[in-house]
Amino acid sequence: MLPGIDYFAAALTPFNIALALGGVVAGTIVGSLPGLTATMAVAVLVPLTFAMEPASALILMGAIYTGAIYGGAYSAVLLNTPGTPSAIATTFDGYPMAKRGDGDLAITAACLASVVGGLVGALALLLLAPPLAEVALAFGPVEYFWLAIFGLSLIAALSEGSLLKGLIGGCFGLLLSTIGVAEISSDVRFTFGSRTLLGGIEVVSALIGLYCIPVLIDMVATPDRHLQVAATPRGFRLPEALAAAWRGKFNLLRSSVIGTLVGILPGAGGSIAGLVAYSEARRASKHPERFGKGEIDGVQATEAANNATVGGGFIPTLVLGIPGTPPDAVILGALLVQGVRTGPNLFTEQGSIVYTFIYGLLLATVLMLPAGLVIGRYAYRFIVTVPKALLVPTVAFMTVIGSYAIRNSISDVVVMIVLGVLGWGVGRFGFAVSPIVLGLILGAIAEQGFVQAWTIGAAVGDLPGMFFGRPISLGIVALTLLSLFYPLVRARFMKRPNGAPGEGDYVD
Amino acid sequence: MSTERGPEGAPGRDLPGTIIAAAFILLGAVFWWDTTDMSDPDSYVFPRTVIALMIGASLLLILRNLVHGGGRHHRSAEGSWPRRLGLVAAMLLGALAMPLVGFLPAGVAVFLAILALAMYDPWTPYRRLVFPLVGLAIVVGFHVLFSEVLRVPLPVGSLFE
Repeated sequence: MLPGIDYFAAALTPFNIALALGGVVAGTIVGSLPGLTATMAVAVLVPLTFAMEPASALILMGAIYTGAIYGGAYSAVLLNTPGTPSAIATTFDGYPMAKRGDGDLAITAACLASVVGGLVGALALLLLAPPLAEVALAFGPVEYFWLAIFGLSLIAALSEGSLLKGLIGGCFGLLLSTIGVAEISSDVRFTFGSRTLLGGIEVVSALIGLYCIPVLIDMVATPDRHLQVAATPRGFRLPEALAAAWRGKFNLLRSSVIGTLVGILPGAGGSIAGLVAYSEARRASKHPERFGKGEIDGVQATEAANNATVGGGFIPTLVLGIPGTPPDAVILGALLVQGVRTGPNLFTEQGSIVYTFIYGLLLATVLMLPAGLVIGRYAYRFIVTVPKALLVPTVAFMTVIGSYAIRNSISDVVVMIVLGVLGWGVGRFGFAVSPIVLGLILGAIAEQGFVQAWTIGAAVGDLPGMFFGRPISLGIVALTLLSLFYPLVRARFMKRPNGAPGEGDYVD
Repeated sequence: MSTERGPEGAPGRDLPGTIIAAAFILLGAVFWWDTTDMSDPDSYVFPRTVIALMIGASLLLILRNLVHGGGRHHRSAEGSWPRRLGLVAAMLLGALAMPLVGFLPAGVAVFLAILALAMYDPWTPYRRLVFPLVGLAIVVGFHVLFSEVLRVPLPVGSLFE
């Protein structure tokens, strides 16, 4: 019998169902707008929850959160712009699918994967919260460092033909992440006297610029349609998406588990979960060469993983009082205002709140299927039917207001545009923007983990042992090496009739 | 998107790639110079490692291009350059004008400018009337959403304060 099943009925009150549905719809719409993150969606609506019962407030916030993470897939697929950072890896295959006329299928597949991932994460929260919370405590600085390096190993897959250029781009992204005041030493770095750069490069603004501005620059230059459009309406394409989900069931399950585990790690979040799951999906695929060119498995992996972080992130939040992801930090604050005391005893002492919330989260995740399909269909139809003369200025305006709203800073808008132009310029010559984005996203985690591990290792006089002597670290290192070299090893053992390199092989 | 190639389909020398790699070396050198002012090793050990990697990879790329050539992955920029430049200029000028004239007027101006740049169909009377009105509604709608609902303090413009 499921724990706390007595509280299932409490989650099913009309008020809670309305909150779950409304939260999912509101979150999906907010998440689909570039620049409005899941954290912002939850933060904006927190004051509404103060007058509610704690369980209802949690259901609303959980529904908004899970909807926003899914909503990020819309602009990732249709505009090559991740609506939230969690959807970065959704752009890798979602946008190529949309370009070839399968945007509707990509959105439906993303919805199904998000529901599966969300359910796995929420079930882990329901069934395994206390033991899984221990995982968060087992991760030290060096494990975070290696996790970031594992994410950076994706550069090999995203380099669009030139590993050296990808490596240079990744390093450039890492350098961008170091601009501003250093987190550990508080030194001012690489601002060259500019007050604008003191706060560093804002990641979401940079993402919008690097991914969206190149698309706008190319859209405005030609009269061609933005996306291919099918001659006849094809509806949701649910049977095709279901068939793809069934074919990729192991991919979905693996990605959901990865998302749950990464969600548990404080500070890691949906973007890293999506990248790690994408990397693993590509490594395990029979057709890794299709990834990056419109492979539906890539979309499913990312979306399952990023939605699984919702349930996963609640595990350390509720059991340890340590927020797993940034939106969890906001929700934790709201819980403290409500008088809920998080900790290992929360499940026994305040079971009515926790279990009602978890069942409400499961309900919201299930409701995301119809809500997501309907909203996704309208989003797709809007993008493919709206005249280009209106689409380009609308998207351009959204990038401006979205990047401004993160820190209320015009400087972030200017940085967004400059990085976008830079990304378009170097992208023409084989320097893909994705490695730059990877470096930017993972730089802070990599540096913090590296410096802290280095300091501890130097203090105890065992640097090699610090970096290579811990079992979890070694596991991540092994996965990284496997991710990097498995395609090469497999290619060597696979027979090629004409001895020619396969499509998508690296030229370096 | 087409791929630029040298004579008889052979890969070109990837001169742009070489120039960009050289620019990254220069950038790395400037960043390295900036680290010399930092006294705490915690501040510079990570950036210096990254800079060294970036310069090393850039040197390898230049060497590869000089010895073997490159240029397999160049995309030609088809279409109108004036419209491209116009888009970037409109966005940049609009962003810089926002603190002065306010978010709403600058946003409307940017929208209308890009609308004109992205228009490839004939300007029929219907489009002349409806498209700017739609643009106005979108800008005002987002302005209200962000400033009133989400409570984002959008610039009102120092000229009007």
